[in-house]
Amino acid sequence: MSKITIPLGPQHPALKEPENFMLVLEGEQISGATVNLGYNHRGMEKAAEERTYIQDLYLLERVCGICSHSHTTCYITNVEELAKCETPKRALAIRTLVAELERVHSHLLWLGVAGYEMGFETLFMYTWRDREQVLDCLELISGNRVHYSINTIGGVRRDITAEQKAEVLKRIDYLAERTSYYIKLATEEATVLARTQNVGKLPYDVAIERGAIGPTARASGVARDVRKDEPYLLYSELDFKLITADSCDVFGRLVVRALELVESYKMIRQVLNNLPEGPIAVKVPMRIPAGEAVNRYEAPRGEDIHYLKSNGTDKPERVKVRAPTLANLQSVAYMLEGGWLADVPLVIAAIDPCMSCTDRAVVWDPKKGRKQTYGWEDLRKLAIEQYRRRGVDFTRL
Amino acid sequence: MGELEKEERIKSALEKQFGGAVSNASVQRRNRVWAEVETAKLPEVMAWLKAEGFNHLATVSGFDEGENLGAYYHTTDFKTVVNIKAKTPRANPVLPSVLSVFPGALSYERELVDMFGIKVQGLPPGRRYPLPDDFPTDQYPLRKDWKFVPPANETEAD
Repeated sequence: MSKITIPLGPQHPALKEPENFMLVLEGEQISGATVNLGYNHRGMEKAAEERTYIQDLYLLERVCGICSHSHTTCYITNVEELAKCETPKRALAIRTLVAELERVHSHLLWLGVAGYEMGFETLFMYTWRDREQVLDCLELISGNRVHYSINTIGGVRRDITAEQKAEVLKRIDYLAERTSYYIKLATEEATVLARTQNVGKLPYDVAIERGAIGPTARASGVARDVRKDEPYLLYSELDFKLITADSCDVFGRLVVRALELVESYKMIRQVLNNLPEGPIAVKVPMRIPAGEAVNRYEAPRGEDIHYLKSNGTDKPERVKVRAPTLANLQSVAYMLEGGWLADVPLVIAAIDPCMSCTDRAVVWDPKKGRKQTYGWEDLRKLAIEQYRRRGVDFTRL
Repeated sequence: MGELEKEERIKSALEKQFGGAVSNASVQRRNRVWAEVETAKLPEVMAWLKAEGFNHLATVSGFDEGENLGAYYHTTDFKTVVNIKAKTPRANPVLPSVLSVFPGALSYERELVDMFGIKVQGLPPGRRYPLPDDFPTDQYPLRKDWKFVPPANETEAD
């Protein structure tokens, strides 16, 4: 049979984010795959060099719309290491709490997307409804649903009150109960098993060779988790299990994430019930002494690594960010090869890719040869105008 | 120095194995070792580290130090991070590829090409990353002398 090459993406091959896969097909079977990225490059590392350390905190929070806390915590650990700052223990506890709530929010989101990609939309509806509970917890603690901004250099911005603690624990109890149902579903439901077992295989050796990380690697039996291997924040004091699976397929990735939810609930309870007393932040000078630091963080999708070089001023010399998805994409190309075209969205979604979103569009007019950048408000105005012409008035919304 | 035993051992083994090719090796703190290597020896050093158990290349961070460009290769056994620095002159920046040792490094090396203009010897042909296809090929945004200048006819809506 002759081979044909088809592009999949960049318009949303799986999940609502741009990436492109060039697939070489023999009939319905994939014989080769290459990954093309960069559709969302926003020049953040360059932008970070032109801003102060505290401004960068808010910039880097926007690297990702889901693991916003992961990136700021990783960055801030570098800044605090270079500033030789003794971060108060209560602040570390609150950071750990938000980190695990974020993991719960991210894993529940993924569980829904996985359900959606395998054609099991009820699971999607269920998990996204339950995810609102954890988003409410995050909003209660930080004031925001997604970009929590709880971190500040030297500590955290907000303390936890007794009422907040009680409310979060109540919601975690509800989520723990729901999760036990999802675990039963993921391991026993016929649709799930048929759709995920032996799909997107990634053997142990290949996972190591291609640098896979996070739940993707752990589902291939790679027992690596920064929280265990090089504990940061309060993880060395918490009791939790490192979850792995050895089925090396999408099913394994589902099981690992579902069981990790349980460990996160355990950690959230431990942190809340043993909150250390004391201040939540210390003052750190604006100028950071010259030096270099590297720190890692176990984000929901895997190891996040930041490199920071300071030069004695209030702005960094160099900030390097490597988000987990970039490390996992070389493994996706392997998982797709030999598989079937219909499995592609599920396999891609199974690493929980995060290409990060962008909220503005650039329109280029070739006749006039000019570009116009539209912000959120402009897009909104355009949309309202368009609907008004069709007889629907959204002006008051 | 009992608590830094592992780090000191890696540092001295690296110096012993590669002699004069390794310089400025240091133990920064627990789980952090830094060293600079001769650029030509880079793939060899990476292969040795991989064999020693540092089989995960976490990322590659390019840098611009003025006269020299270069990159840090952050390898880890997941507990300890060994940061290997390789420099190359700005006038003709070239680094050897480490893909034969770490196949997962493809995107990291393409980033050095796009963002710093470092030629990576041994990199297979393919689409550029991470800059758009129509970005000028003689401009390297992460070099210190590169400044963003908005085109005269572009308007910022916000």
